[in-house]
Amino acid sequence: MSDRIHSASAAASGVNGTLAQAMRDALCHLPGVGSAAGVHAVGLASDMAIMSLLALSAYLMLLVGRVSFGQQAFFGLGAYASGVMSAMFHAPLGLALAAGAAFGALCSWLIALPTLRLSGLHYAVATLAFGEMARVGLSAWHWQIPGEDGPVGPAGIDGFRDIRWLLENNVAPIEYLVLTLLVLLFVLGLLMQTERLRLGVGLRMIGQDDTLAAAQGIAVERVRLFAAAISGGLAALGGGLYAHRTTYIEPAVFDPMLGVHAVGYALLGGLGTAFGPLLGVALDLGLLDASRLLPGWRMVIFGGLVALFLRWRPRGLLDEALVHRLASHWRHLRSGRRTPSVSLPATRRTP
Amino acid sequence: MTAWVQTTIDGLLDGGSYAMVGLGLSLTFGSLRRLNLAYGATAMLAAYIGAWLHARAQAPIWLVVIAMVLSATVIGWYVERLCFAGTHENGSLPQAAPVAGTDGREVVALASSFAVWMQLEQLAVNLLPRHLNPFPSLAASSEWTLGELLIRPDRLLVMVLAAALTLGLAAWLERSRTGLAWRAAADHRTAAHLVGMPVARLQTLAFSAACALSGVAAFAVLSIDAQVTPMFGMWVLLKGLVAAMLGGLGSIRGVLWGGLLLGVVEAHAQTLLGAQGREFATYALLFVVLTGPWWRGDRAWSGGLRA
Repeated sequence: MSDRIHSASAAASGVNGTLAQAMRDALCHLPGVGSAAGVHAVGLASDMAIMSLLALSAYLMLLVGRVSFGQQAFFGLGAYASGVMSAMFHAPLGLALAAGAAFGALCSWLIALPTLRLSGLHYAVATLAFGEMARVGLSAWHWQIPGEDGPVGPAGIDGFRDIRWLLENNVAPIEYLVLTLLVLLFVLGLLMQTERLRLGVGLRMIGQDDTLAAAQGIAVERVRLFAAAISGGLAALGGGLYAHRTTYIEPAVFDPMLGVHAVGYALLGGLGTAFGPLLGVALDLGLLDASRLLPGWRMVIFGGLVALFLRWRPRGLLDEALVHRLASHWRHLRSGRRTPSVSLPATRRTP
Repeated sequence: MTAWVQTTIDGLLDGGSYAMVGLGLSLTFGSLRRLNLAYGATAMLAAYIGAWLHARAQAPIWLVVIAMVLSATVIGWYVERLCFAGTHENGSLPQAAPVAGTDGREVVALASSFAVWMQLEQLAVNLLPRHLNPFPSLAASSEWTLGELLIRPDRLLVMVLAAALTLGLAAWLERSRTGLAWRAAADHRTAAHLVGMPVARLQTLAFSAACALSGVAAFAVLSIDAQVTPMFGMWVLLKGLVAAMLGGLGSIRGVLWGGLLLGVVEAHAQTLLGAQGREFATYALLFVVLTGPWWRGDRAWSGGLRA
């Protein structure tokens, strides 16, 4: 029995120590021990950008009113798919990433077909179950072909080594960071643009009240499926970037903790704007990195703070109300600057 | 044939532990319509407190049991205050949404109970930093034989205890006044409130009772292993969730059947496909049950507490 407890949850939660530790080891894995602060900063920034993509994918599902605990599966599937493309078929990086994202979107769409009609809680549990199925499936997947230095390809629980496109093509970490940031900016721009379209309004309406949205003529089912496909694609894109950054992926990395963290980032940062998830990632990874003073108590304090925080701000820091206020403030400022205002100085002069 | 029967028996015995850990989850969900992600961590922290007493203070077993149940209750009370209390008031009327969907507060309760999960787990690891920690052992050294079949008496005891707890709780929900009040509050908060029931207090009580049950379950499961690891929290949550889901969340007797079914399916998957097959079967079973055609329509768990 003890073996079983151990093996079942060891696989479910990463192998080393506590879950949060495994997560941090996986994400903040840095090349070289005595690395300079600059290398560290570049690594951390890349991790934050990659994590932001995953958080954005969770955010998109939260927008349509569903909590998904399975985004890590698409992250992992995207990582494996793009790794297979670049390491085994020698595809260029762009093609590998695109193929990974497309594969993730396809999987997410297929999974959304039977699950999205479930109620919120059951959807959450079903995605969790799918995430674990994908993880166990990946740890049973062996497919290796001979490469230059020995066999290359996914090797079950031992993971997938030597995804070395960056090394082979002499891409420096800082260049890769720029690429990752460009991808993130592009995705962010796309999401911000969508918010202004009918589609974006529809997404939020469905999240608030799907019956009302349907009554307004929005094809709820179709928009939700679309959102699921896009969010799977985003997660897979992040996975592809992750695989090429670390050169080594293993199924244990893609455990539920990863997906739950992504949801946490989106909820913490706020659902009012696509910048919310980014803020969540920056807060958590930034604080994780900054607060190395109290290693044992960090999670105790942070967890308690998050729980307290969610009580008085249930839709995160940048929630809809704040975003709306900021936007109108910004508009006011801009219009005030453009047309020299008469009223303000006038009121100031007359006490 | 004997091997097949033996596997089934092993599965049934495993299923007892699954039912036991699922019981509290189902009770919580039934009365609150909220999923408590910190459930496993609560059981784990209580188990660590028990293991600490056992290892550092040489406490006798009965004291460990009492300490675990008490600490699980107190931790459960803390989780409820922090994550779940008051999450009903701010939303629309509880009966307004026909489907127990994500009404905003539900998502928040999920997220904040997750944060508390991390917190409790870290506390437990701070208490006993080693990976393997000794736990008071009640494991039997011998096996009973029944013809060619082998039965571990300690595991059988856990299964009997699980069945007794489940059926006892179900009967208590059906017969007692408090059980009736819990079911009424779960069925219709507003109506229960209007006839003068202290709904919030009843729910806190149900939540704490569920956590106390998790303390009992944690002791029963761990005393057979004689050790506890930091993976225990995740194990409790996942196995309990699958068992409770299979039985229909909120149904108390359902948890027993769900746990036994899970145990049997896992045992057979293990003999057929190995350890990974066992794990895969767990989640595949959950996924199929959730998305299968028989749950669609109006009957799909609308929530509420059933005996």
